[in-house]
Amino acid sequence: MFDVIANYFTNDWQLPILLSVVCVSIASGVLSPIVISSRMAFFSDAVAHSTLAGVALGLLLGLGNPVITMVLMGVMVALVIASLRQFTTLALDTLLGVAMAGSLAAGFLLYEYQKGYADLHSYLFGQPSLLGWSDFWMLLFNATISLLVIVLFSNRFLLLAVSRPLAQARRVSVARYEFLLIVLLGLVVSLSVRAVGLLMVNALLIVPAAASRNIARSVRGMFIGSMIVAIISGLTGLFAGDFLGLAPAPAIVVTAVLCFIVSQVLRPFIGHHVAEA
Amino acid sequence: MATDPLLVCEHVTVTAGGRKLVDDVSLELPRGKLIALIGPNGAGKTTLLRAILGLVKYDGRVRINGRIGYVPQRLQYDRTLPMNVMEFMALTLQKRPVAFGVASRVKKRVLELLDAVGARKLARAHLGGLSGGELQRVMLASALQDQPELLLLDEPAAGVDIEGEATFNDLITQQVREHNATAVLVSHDLSVVSDLTDQVVCLNQSLKCVGDAKDLLTAERIAEVFGGHKAVYGHHHHH
Repeated sequence: MFDVIANYFTNDWQLPILLSVVCVSIASGVLSPIVISSRMAFFSDAVAHSTLAGVALGLLLGLGNPVITMVLMGVMVALVIASLRQFTTLALDTLLGVAMAGSLAAGFLLYEYQKGYADLHSYLFGQPSLLGWSDFWMLLFNATISLLVIVLFSNRFLLLAVSRPLAQARRVSVARYEFLLIVLLGLVVSLSVRAVGLLMVNALLIVPAAASRNIARSVRGMFIGSMIVAIISGLTGLFAGDFLGLAPAPAIVVTAVLCFIVSQVLRPFIGHHVAEA
Repeated sequence: MATDPLLVCEHVTVTAGGRKLVDDVSLELPRGKLIALIGPNGAGKTTLLRAILGLVKYDGRVRINGRIGYVPQRLQYDRTLPMNVMEFMALTLQKRPVAFGVASRVKKRVLELLDAVGARKLARAHLGGLSGGELQRVMLASALQDQPELLLLDEPAAGVDIEGEATFNDLITQQVREHNATAVLVSHDLSVVSDLTDQVVCLNQSLKCVGDAKDLLTAERIAEVFGGHKAVYGHHHHH
């Protein structure tokens, strides 16, 4: 096991993999509390599923690395969902269900038409072993943007999460911050897909904060806990997956879910107790 | 400046779906008064407040010569969010992310604000675990952070037990007297009207009456505003 870990530091081609996974973990760890508190979990899942259409579109355009079309598709689907919300009386989960199924099915057809099933697996479940330095720089950008947005705007996001009317009365522009969060999620999800796969990426945005919310008593505790769970799962999943010859991304998610289960067990002993309203 | 009216509404009308929720309301509120805004359910009280706060589109003019504090109606919020009262108050008091901790200067300010509403001991309490009365105090403390000259309280008694309500009203009166602020207490019943109320404004889409509390609270006037639901005024009626 130690050899496996040491290799990531000594092999030139493995170092960007390790650093990329750390970047994905930082981005998801820092955004997870906001995603959960703003009830955007289902939303980011819909965006993740739409990225397959982005991949297929990239292939159709003959792009070697379809990351640009993935990001564009992710952000576009995010914006379409956000604007449809203004014009429909349907509940958000219904709308997201339509968008998710539609974009995944269309994306798959387009993909299959061009490549059959080749490499499909790596888009669905991620393929960290293929990550190089260019992927690392992109994921570093991803993590930096996420941290920056949290540093600048997390107070506003949290006030909105507590109560929209209260935030409005405090002159927080609900529409502007929702738009910002939507675009950010579209970007982060699409950029993370290559590393952890479109079926797995959303778990990384949900599980860390879900686990830390179980035991945190404060906002600060929730963010710290989420960050710890995300980084521990990222590294453990990567190393354990490598050691046992398993797919790293699902191993990362399983580790995160194990953290969640532990937090659920610990909750009655250290978590806050919600009063009956 | 001090003699200027604090709030002037001129022909304020709010329309939604072709229906007038607030109809041609013109109103002047002076400084340093405790004002009760009453009217039945659906009379447009909250809508008028939202127009004053600039949260809904309206026709007409609203002029405010001062800072506003707002305590919203029975706040529905995410009670499972791990956030303590200190952090909640700090969200609007500091630029630094609360996730990185509350600055010591802000901690001091929050404790002062909580002190002012007799809720210092709630600083470390979980926001989701507050009782109705405790939440109202925290919301009042939060509304006081900018030292408002106009304090708008939407149904402040909702979800507060009678004893809590009495002390809450005392707190607001204290703010009014000490800081020459004007507080507008909104309610669909007469519970907000107390001996301390200076002025009563009755609203049912349009303005039904404005004036001195003692002169205006006649059974006939109330019946007119509430459309004959005299029960709310019953105990006065029997004397």
